[in-house]
Amino acid sequence: MERAGGMIGGRILSAITPVLLGALGALAANFPISFLGNLVPPPLLSLMPLYFWGIVRPDLMSPFWAFMLGLLEDFLSGPGSPPGVWAASYVAAYAFLDSQRDVLAGLSGLGALMGFALTALVACVSAYLIVDVYHWRVQPLAPVLAELAVTVIAYVFAVVILGGIHRRVVGPLRSDF
Amino acid sequence: MANGGWKIARRRGGAQLPIALLAALAVALILIGKAQSNLFDRARANVTDWAAPALQVVRTPLAGLDRWIGSIGNLFSVYQENLRLKEENARLRQWQNAAVVLDGRVKRYQLLLHAVPDPALQTVMARVIGRANRPFLQTMILDAGKAQGVKPGQGVIDARGMIGRIFLAGDHTAWVILLTDLNSRIPVSIEPGNVQAIMAGDNTGAPTLDLLSQNVVLKPGMQVVSSGDGGLLPPGLAIGTVVADPSGGFRVALLADPASSEDVNIVDFKQKAEAPPAVSPADLPATAAGLPPAAPPAPIPATAPNGLPTTTPPGVNAGAPQPAAANGAKPPQPAAANTAKPAPSDATPDAGGAE
Repeated sequence: MERAGGMIGGRILSAITPVLLGALGALAANFPISFLGNLVPPPLLSLMPLYFWGIVRPDLMSPFWAFMLGLLEDFLSGPGSPPGVWAASYVAAYAFLDSQRDVLAGLSGLGALMGFALTALVACVSAYLIVDVYHWRVQPLAPVLAELAVTVIAYVFAVVILGGIHRRVVGPLRSDF
Repeated sequence: MANGGWKIARRRGGAQLPIALLAALAVALILIGKAQSNLFDRARANVTDWAAPALQVVRTPLAGLDRWIGSIGNLFSVYQENLRLKEENARLRQWQNAAVVLDGRVKRYQLLLHAVPDPALQTVMARVIGRANRPFLQTMILDAGKAQGVKPGQGVIDARGMIGRIFLAGDHTAWVILLTDLNSRIPVSIEPGNVQAIMAGDNTGAPTLDLLSQNVVLKPGMQVVSSGDGGLLPPGLAIGTVVADPSGGFRVALLADPASSEDVNIVDFKQKAEAPPAVSPADLPATAAGLPPAAPPAPIPATAPNGLPTTTPPGVNAGAPQPAAANGAKPPQPAAANTAKPAPSDATPDAGGAE
């Protein structure tokens, strides 16, 4: 099956797909309707495309887009949330990802899941520390850990979808062939 | 799984400079947000107004599923819960009888004391159309906004007690910051004893209590109500009961359950300026002592410097205000003017002779 990226229109589609999926993830995660009775916080869906394509196609998922996805997360998370928290956290996660790209890209199976968990941990811990300093008060850790756990579990299912989209729509960089 | 088979498009470390710049930009954004906390609020309100119809449509079929999943934990304790509720119901019926008797007694005392009535309370009923439960934020969205008279700061209550307060009002929607949210801090009063404290949310189910005085002793079970300080919330809104915090201090077990609230009331608290009660004849010392009111003093004709009585010259408007009246100040009236038996109109002194 030929990838959509092989055509001119498809090339544009393949270029915007990672960021588009990240934005859709932010919208879905912050949609103010709970499916689980508010028992657990929603996963950081926008972090998944950021991690996935941040490793395999950093030309399409650049630090700028990591910042913008974080900013979108800040905007959509509701009033009262300090602006810039998730923007800074996503940039921190991207910095970790960028520094460990070789290692992370070589992981597979449970190791790949642990790689994502580490990146998500960097994002969540950064957000936690920023909010602590912002409010100058130590916040309870449980909600952040719950969000981290939900995000990592959700990535197990999301990575299958992201992998399929990568194969059919985005594809590797031409210079990589 | 995952990324094992994918080639890397760029070597490590190629994006260090942009990352540093973006990190600095993010920190600057946080600092700006600290200085101006309503940075995104106008845009957020517009987006919520725009998305409200979609939220209402999507929420209806999902509400049942949401409630069912949210109550899964209760399925395992239905029997114990039922017994506990029956016992609590019997106890509350006794309290209801006591409350009815006490309410009647308080009203009688208020009548006897001519007590100033409670401030006017109006409420706007709204439906919950969205909830957000993030690690650093606990909010809900209501389908009432500025068009219905909703303003930031107003309290939100359900049938059991206070839930939160309006944080941001759009034209047809409003965001509520729950009492459990990190940003929530409201002045409360703890009864009995009228102990003043600040109740602060920390994203756990039970907000903390910061006492304003260190010389008070709290006991679990004491009632927490809004104190009314600051003039935004009415005093006496039921909030919860004091519980001991295992890690020290005290917390508040809230009466309301925001997760299950569907319809709420937004309290429009209009605090009127207190006016002194009108003077009645019985309030005058002489009348209260059983003495007849003092007779008004006889009119003294005004005299000109030459000793002759003055008259209003032709052509001068007799009703024209005098300098004292022009300032809105009325000339002093005799004490008899306040009595039940008014003084004859011709007995009213008029030093200026203009009326």
